[in-house]
Amino acid sequence: MKLALQNILHDRGRFSVTVLGVSFAVFLMVFQGSLLAGFLQAASRLIDASDTDIWITARGVQAFEFGTALESRVREMAAGVPGVMQTSRVCMAFAVYRTPIGKQQVVALVGADPNVGKRFPVPDAPESAEKMSPDAVLYDVSDRKQIEVAALPAEVEINRHRASIEREIQGYGAFLGVPFLFTSYRNAIRYLDFRSDQAVYILLRTDRRYPLSQIQQSLKQKLPEVDVLTRDEFAHKSRMYWTIKTGAGGAILTAAVLGFLIGLVVVSQTIYANTMENLEEYATLKALGAPQAFVARIVLAQALICGAVGSVLGLLAVVPSINYAKSLIPWIHAPWWLPAAMVVPSLAMCSLASIVSVRSALTVEPGRVFRA
Amino acid sequence: MPNLFLGVEGASVTFGQQDARVCALRDVSLSFEKGTLSLVTGPSGSGKTTLLSMLGCLLSPDEGSVFVDGVAVNGLSEAERTVIRQKKISFVFQAFRLFHSLSALDNVALGFEIRDPAAPGRKELALDLLLQFGLGDKLQQEPNELSPGEKQRVAIARALAGNPPILLADEPTASLDAEAGRNICQILRREVDEQGRTVVVVSHDPRWEKFADRTITLCDGRVEEEVAVL
Repeated sequence: MKLALQNILHDRGRFSVTVLGVSFAVFLMVFQGSLLAGFLQAASRLIDASDTDIWITARGVQAFEFGTALESRVREMAAGVPGVMQTSRVCMAFAVYRTPIGKQQVVALVGADPNVGKRFPVPDAPESAEKMSPDAVLYDVSDRKQIEVAALPAEVEINRHRASIEREIQGYGAFLGVPFLFTSYRNAIRYLDFRSDQAVYILLRTDRRYPLSQIQQSLKQKLPEVDVLTRDEFAHKSRMYWTIKTGAGGAILTAAVLGFLIGLVVVSQTIYANTMENLEEYATLKALGAPQAFVARIVLAQALICGAVGSVLGLLAVVPSINYAKSLIPWIHAPWWLPAAMVVPSLAMCSLASIVSVRSALTVEPGRVFRA
Repeated sequence: MPNLFLGVEGASVTFGQQDARVCALRDVSLSFEKGTLSLVTGPSGSGKTTLLSMLGCLLSPDEGSVFVDGVAVNGLSEAERTVIRQKKISFVFQAFRLFHSLSALDNVALGFEIRDPAAPGRKELALDLLLQFGLGDKLQQEPNELSPGEKQRVAIARALAGNPPILLADEPTASLDAEAGRNICQILRREVDEQGRTVVVVSHDPRWEKFADRTITLCDGRVEEEVAVL
């Protein structure tokens, strides 16, 4: 093992190049992975923020942003299904927003009952520490430039109705390119000119004593004209829609896959080249009687040291880069497991590349060691 | 010629294919007695290094047999031949082939580690060897800080680590000046006389003739002459 370490310390230039290659690969994989993870998370963020069990949507709705209004009777009929404990309403539609200085733009207005979920951004949530009027409107801090309010509260117009912007929230930034505004259900139907009790989504909280699949089945039988999905099903459907069926999602997915593959190729190529540089020494070891396992151990140790150092440096570089990127791409997100998930295959590729390259040393050509 | 200590019997080796086919050794039979120093000489391309490769279990002949410590090795697997190299054979190279990132002491200690990874006190044993070769003040020097003569002495110390009975040397004095070359000749002669080691030296260097028990001259892959020094 000392030979592996000494080789690395001795050839600092080569070591730096190797480490730089691995760092770049890890950086690329984690950054691209964060774009994809953030995109997926943003695609179902509001669905995941609810803590209800079942979402009822109009037939064929692909994503939260593209729901259409349900008839009022859907909620009443759903409430009558055994196992349904509570219903709540969410509406979402695009609206015209007029800033305090008179500039107009389209926003996505979301209104929900207070019992939708603790994390769902509604002004009248029962657990909300900061009490606001039920008519308050919230926006995400990342949309501040588009909302254009100088101070809070601010009087604005939504679909020609007076509204009061009262608070900034975090984590629900623009995903469509138009900002989200959040308010109470009661307030939203007024701004959107919905009929009383009309909603785009009906959310159900169920009794744990009833199997969820059984309740879902009963709802489907009773309401054949709508889609009845568990929260996870709707979130998955929404993510798949945005990732597979839209150009932006497809581009991000492709870039992430390519980033991963390019990263692995860079790691393999870097480690392979590094191992080949030391081929003469491995041939000498072999000629001196070192067993294959002995030589392989040295090569592997060298590759893993380079891989580990490169990975750490890559991660040290990517974390602040992602934090900086958040100011430009609010939805970018690096889950805690992503760095580990990228470093493990990188180290595996280091090992694999070194083993592939060391085969040359292990099958040393006779007489090579005798050449001057 | 059964039960040779070290040697080849009817060995032929060819390299390349079709028009590029070269016959490196043709039906060569040679025996190297235990506790002797044999000099193998001859012009370039005569088959000296091929012979050394066979004796060192790095190459199997196309025809014939190779014996190391009385065992025919050409039928053995690569792993079995590695074990024979590990336990019985060591090499000294013209280009020294020291590990460039290790100190003189660590190079020799690595020789002990290769022979017996579990053996304790490798550093102490390496230190003893280097002191015997007058390198006590060069222990922590890396190869690029040593003179060619010092490098070759470190390489011989590494080769002797673990006390292998057979030492194969390929042009060990070719890169050395007269004094350093003579010093290496004396060291290997001493290993034969005092330790009973079997040494085969491949060299063009005429200085070896007075240190060798026997001189074998190869030409075009055949034994041209064998001269024993009485």
